[in-house]
Amino acid sequence: MNEKNIIAKLRYPSYYIPALAILILIFFPFLTNNEYIVQVGIMVLLFAVMGSGWNIIAGFGGQLSLGHAAFVGIGAYVSTLLFVYLDLTPWIGMLVGAVVSAIFGVIVGYPCFKLKGAYYALATIAYGELVRIFIQNTNQIGPIDLKGAQGILLPIKGHSWFWFQFDTKAPYYYIALVMMFLAILLCYKIKNSKFGYYLAAIGDNQDAAASLGVDSSRMKVYAAAISSFVMGIAGTFYAQFLLYIGPQSLLVDTFSTEIALVGIIGGAEVMGPIIGAFLLTPISEATRILLGGRFIGVHLVVYGAILMAVITYAPSGILPYLKKVYYKFLALLGDPQYQDYRTIKAPAKGLGGGIK
Amino acid sequence: MSSKKVISLVLIVMLMGMLALTGCSGNKGEAPNADTAVGEVKVGVLLPLSGPVAPIGVTSQRGYELAVEEINAAGGIKALGGAKIKLITADSRGDAKIGMSEAERLIQSDKVTVMTGAYQSAVTYPSTQVAEKYKIPYIVPSAVKDEITQRGFKYTFRTCPPMGWYTKAQVDFAVEMGKKTGKPAKRVALVYENTDWGQSAATAWKVDVPKAGMEIVLDAPYPATSSDLTPVILKIKQANPDFILFTSYTSDAILLTNGIAQMKINSYGMAGGGGGHADPEYMKNTGKNSEYHYDLCEWSTDVGKPGVKETNDKFKAKYGVDMNGESANCYASMYVLADALERAGANDPEKIREALSKTNLSTTNAMIMPNTSVQFDETGQNINASLIMIQVRDGQRVTVWPESAKNPDFEAVWPVPKFEDRK
Amino acid sequence: MGTMTEATINGLFMGSLYGLIAVGLSLVFGVMKVVNFAHGSLLTICMYAVYYLVMKANWNSYLTPILVVPLLFIFGYVVQSKIINPVLKREFELGGGHAVILLTVGMMLVMENLCLLFFGAYYKVAQVPISSLTLNIGNIVISVPRMIAGIVSVILIFLLYAFLNKTDMGKAIRATGQDREAVRLMGINDFKIYNISFGICFIMLTLAAALMIPMYYVHPSAGKIFELRSFVIVVLGGLGSLNGAFLGGIIIGLIESVTAQFLSATTAEFLIFLVFILVLLLKPNGLLGKK
Repeated sequence: MNEKNIIAKLRYPSYYIPALAILILIFFPFLTNNEYIVQVGIMVLLFAVMGSGWNIIAGFGGQLSLGHAAFVGIGAYVSTLLFVYLDLTPWIGMLVGAVVSAIFGVIVGYPCFKLKGAYYALATIAYGELVRIFIQNTNQIGPIDLKGAQGILLPIKGHSWFWFQFDTKAPYYYIALVMMFLAILLCYKIKNSKFGYYLAAIGDNQDAAASLGVDSSRMKVYAAAISSFVMGIAGTFYAQFLLYIGPQSLLVDTFSTEIALVGIIGGAEVMGPIIGAFLLTPISEATRILLGGRFIGVHLVVYGAILMAVITYAPSGILPYLKKVYYKFLALLGDPQYQDYRTIKAPAKGLGGGIK
Repeated sequence: MSSKKVISLVLIVMLMGMLALTGCSGNKGEAPNADTAVGEVKVGVLLPLSGPVAPIGVTSQRGYELAVEEINAAGGIKALGGAKIKLITADSRGDAKIGMSEAERLIQSDKVTVMTGAYQSAVTYPSTQVAEKYKIPYIVPSAVKDEITQRGFKYTFRTCPPMGWYTKAQVDFAVEMGKKTGKPAKRVALVYENTDWGQSAATAWKVDVPKAGMEIVLDAPYPATSSDLTPVILKIKQANPDFILFTSYTSDAILLTNGIAQMKINSYGMAGGGGGHADPEYMKNTGKNSEYHYDLCEWSTDVGKPGVKETNDKFKAKYGVDMNGESANCYASMYVLADALERAGANDPEKIREALSKTNLSTTNAMIMPNTSVQFDETGQNINASLIMIQVRDGQRVTVWPESAKNPDFEAVWPVPKFEDRK
Repeated sequence: MGTMTEATINGLFMGSLYGLIAVGLSLVFGVMKVVNFAHGSLLTICMYAVYYLVMKANWNSYLTPILVVPLLFIFGYVVQSKIINPVLKREFELGGGHAVILLTVGMMLVMENLCLLFFGAYYKVAQVPISSLTLNIGNIVISVPRMIAGIVSVILIFLLYAFLNKTDMGKAIRATGQDREAVRLMGINDFKIYNISFGICFIMLTLAAALMIPMYYVHPSAGKIFELRSFVIVVLGGLGSLNGAFLGGIIIGLIESVTAQFLSATTAEFLIFLVFILVLLLKPNGLLGKK
């Protein structure tokens, strides 16, 4: 498709609306002078990245994890310790942290993947707790000061790309945006590779996949490694963004649940966690701001109710439903490609069960 | 369905989400500035209002509220044309990352000119950093972690004492009691919850206790969310200490106190350090078991200072419970702020910071605290902050130490009567 | 030596209580193959129900089950039939297995925070006369409410075991856990069995709550602390096995109580999860699990 063609096609809603969305995404930090709003934007993108990472093992591979915060934490701690003790730039620390996180992902996953059912979910919870208790009660490992429950405040280096620290929110926003696009690309590549098909087959029916000669344990281990690698990367970003890491906020089970919710509510597709993050994070912020101080706990009631509703009424996540609405909207805007959707009432079909 | 279409769909959702957000920001961004001009000082209050520490967050919030009500009713900040103080409360959920995010929001969206909070050290520590970045003064009335004022921050002001003073005062008290009664404590047990707070208390104890010539016979950290604290209680029994030091939140303080009474573990004395031991819920839920317990804290209803009784009566009429250390801390901190605002003469963070750093306050209701004045050193620590030791007597918290703040009707009982001999 | 004996006795009593709490989780898993992540918040609800009856109506805590058990059985029955079954039904048709788990995660969030909303974040302790009662044998002190909790828990687990093995209803429940389709062909409504199983889970939790109130505090997150223990216990004993839940409870109770005497209580907590991971590695079906 040449350039002229694209420009010509921009008169169709199905092209100009996404183009507009991308533009807004790119220029978002300039649309508001309120840094808090940009901060929410960054958290949305970060949750999109973490949700995508979670989705590789849980959505594609069908292995529900409820302890993914541990992998984020490992990435964050490794890069931060390298930063504090060896003056290593967080950019390299990020990769080291991600690799360490991936190794841990394999260690925790390998024994569980031979088992079916909820074992992996339970193991990830236990594993997450182990990591939290260990860090919370360990002040010193040899010469390294882990600071236990206190957590580590990162040294402030001022505005510097080298040290991954900025005075304004915009650079963080763009780094997160790039990370999100890379995560989408990664998931897209996985989904459309042989590996992705194997994973999907395992997620659908492990026994059937095995009878076709798919080495399911091995595939799941690969998926776990990639998934925790992504979490490790997100962990470093988290540490550099908040400039504080501590077991009480980074390694708690509620954080794991939040990551999983993003993926579940979105749906087990490439774009599922992205949608999930763009819906849930603002809801979480809004409910806390609007209700938090007055009615203790209301925000989490809303959160839980949404989850229950999605599971009951939209088992494949909300992506297929949003699609339907979107196509209808395109049809109403007069896009010739989507005129069929004008009349369709029910979604064509669920996407095969969503999260398994 | 092609993935291209899906991608474009996702982008639409993003677009709508972002537009909604910017829409919100538009509304929020402009109005507050206008309000501020017509006489309102916005104070951002960061507290744990949900999660396990919520009761203490609520107690603290009441302290702030009562003080602000009084200040506003008395004509507000006169130097600002009678401007009213307006509290904008945010819930940290007791979580550092949410605390930081909320601090950011209070400063950026709500345009507060002063921050205060956040009770827990683990939340205060990083959230003061946010305030420092935006050059917003942050008054810390009840977080005790030493390092909070040791980072060279210019916008952090702490009215309460740091942890090191607590542990030292506890040890000093035991030594003094030993001298006075001829029954010195030799064997000390350290019992503390294993989060940030308890761990920093333990670090300080391990310096102070040996220095005073006492021996640490038990070092027992425990998870604050334990389902059973009997193992810890049995360890205390085994160690047979003369003096037991606690750092506990509410639930664990209740379980420990009731368990120790049940097991009849006798010692010369047991002392908490605020937190759970100072929570009214603790007294209600331990009943007779907490009799004779010591608690080192910032305040008590019988502190011999003017205004204490009136303020507590007002508080009790409004909320149905007595004030405690946390609410008194927060209450007094608002008078410190009001004083600074009067001297700053402008609702401007920079001027407020300057006024705060020059504080030398020995009047107003800030003086319901046991200290005689408020002055900050260059690190932002109130150098006159002081502590008192209370003892539970007939279900009341009675100030027994130091001499200067002591309740004249009571003497500290040391060693405390054996559980077997109590009625 | 006295302390060691006391620690062991305490470990056994607490372990039996843990077993009683975990047994409902194991039963629900055994029958429906669903790990109920709302288990802890269900316990919280039961604890509040018992607490208010004790404090407001002056009931003896150990008598509260007379009123609370039927109420909460019905509640459990309705929750299962109206909320969980529709999702379960769909899952049976479409395959897969995590939707119900996630539904329970949502239920956990809703219930725990509704408690926070209605009852406040305050710690509530029912100080009843029996709370501070102790039994002294030599220099060994045994807490009476703990002893009652431990012994009654063992009896209750045994009764549940007998119910499942000796009565027709119990046999139907067990058969449903083994082969749903076969049971349906025999004319038993499998979803009704699920409702009853969930109701029984509530009965066990209510009884546990009645035993706990004299010695424990109530708080919206109180149940969660026991939930995590329950997960470890059921996997340790073998998912779906009642004896296993009991054995797992005893092991965890002993680890918690006895090792804390040598090491710190925080290390004991670490050990519990370490044992859990080791069991997953070496004996994934649990100590008493099938296969």
